[in-house]
Amino acid sequence: MVELHSPQQKRPFKLRPWIRAIHRDAGYIVVGLTIVYALSGLAVNHIADWDPNFHQVEQTHKIAGPFPENDQAAAAHVLKAFGITEKPTDIYRASPDRLDITLEHRTLHLDAKAAQVFEEGQKPRFFLRLANWLHLNRGKKAWSYVADTYAVILLYLAISGLFMIPGKKGLLGRGLVIALFGASVPIGYVILSGGGP
Amino acid sequence: MKDEIFGYSVNPELEKLRARRRFIAQAATGTVITALGAAYFLSDDLTREAKAQTRKDGRPRLPPGQRVLERLKPMGGQPGDPSPGNFKLRVHGEVEQPFEVGFAELLKLPQAKLALDVHCVTGWTVLGAKFEGVLLKTLAEKAKLKPKARFVIFEAAHGYTANISLKDALKPEVMVAHRLDGEPLSRAHGAPVRNIVPDFYFWKSAKWLTGIRFVEHDEPGYWETRGYNNHADPWREERYS
Repeated sequence: MVELHSPQQKRPFKLRPWIRAIHRDAGYIVVGLTIVYALSGLAVNHIADWDPNFHQVEQTHKIAGPFPENDQAAAAHVLKAFGITEKPTDIYRASPDRLDITLEHRTLHLDAKAAQVFEEGQKPRFFLRLANWLHLNRGKKAWSYVADTYAVILLYLAISGLFMIPGKKGLLGRGLVIALFGASVPIGYVILSGGGP
Repeated sequence: MKDEIFGYSVNPELEKLRARRRFIAQAATGTVITALGAAYFLSDDLTREAKAQTRKDGRPRLPPGQRVLERLKPMGGQPGDPSPGNFKLRVHGEVEQPFEVGFAELLKLPQAKLALDVHCVTGWTVLGAKFEGVLLKTLAEKAKLKPKARFVIFEAAHGYTANISLKDALKPEVMVAHRLDGEPLSRAHGAPVRNIVPDFYFWKSAKWLTGIRFVEHDEPGYWETRGYNNHADPWREERYS
């Protein structure tokens, strides 16, 4: 005769399956944010080597005159010479020889005396600019709550990760050694670099 | 199990261990050589020459921890309006005669052309960048400072600010620049106008400048309230607070 558990009989509570389940689902939640923060972090970390937000344009072009005295007409002359059909957001004469034609992503600076145009501008790198905008969190109060929540979830993922695997591959064996190695990287850097603040 | 090669017995397990050891030794040697090569490459001619030079004030021309680049690098920031037509510079605070100038009016003020060394906190330096613009001293004289003015706050697009002492701001190389290396200042460098404070880390030189405010008490700026040093002297490596 087979003895069955009665429905009233409770299973003993086990913490580890809960830790793993929450760890798993929290991990899924922050996948998108982790990718955004990691790519933005890499980009900004090397900001001295490249501009992660924009492609830069700086070129000087020769242009044939004469240039009309009227600012609008002079701007039209320049735009036509370069085959630009975009409508300028601003046309400004800073001095008799200088006319600045502002377009959405570039500005054409006409030097009428030298018969040349200095073109400079920036074309946004869509994903990275957006990622950096989120990451750097300049003056975005509402986003601070999201970033804080993300940081708390990361803390949970890190701590709960320590207790996910039982036995010698877990915190009582290999896991502890690897975790200590990981912790030794920032500690070692601070010591070897001569200390922190 | 043992194999024989040229009459010698070989233990395959032992040979596998020896092969692994050889690989690790070769990989480590390669890494060291690559790292030394990179270190030599980074210590380029421009940097070596600059390290050998001394400024008039006796300080080395190149602050510690810097390497020399040929041109300014765009360092990001939330861009302001690049149009000279929309530009307004407000000079205000502890002054007798606050005023506002547009771009054309700024060009009509006494102009200065200076070759200045600039030092970015991320570790690069540009020597002798040619800026054109108006000295801050000229603007301060026009505004007539009140005696209690002791600090200067540079105000820029999207609420960016940077602070320096009045004493440092009135030095003859501090300026409001609208041209760089003979061309109008580009968007990447804060067009149409930025301030230049050459003897401090470059975050003190605000791009997309909108105002200069003279104040009695110091007000740490955007980066100064985010862990960067309030003074920012490159020769003392005052990078962080």
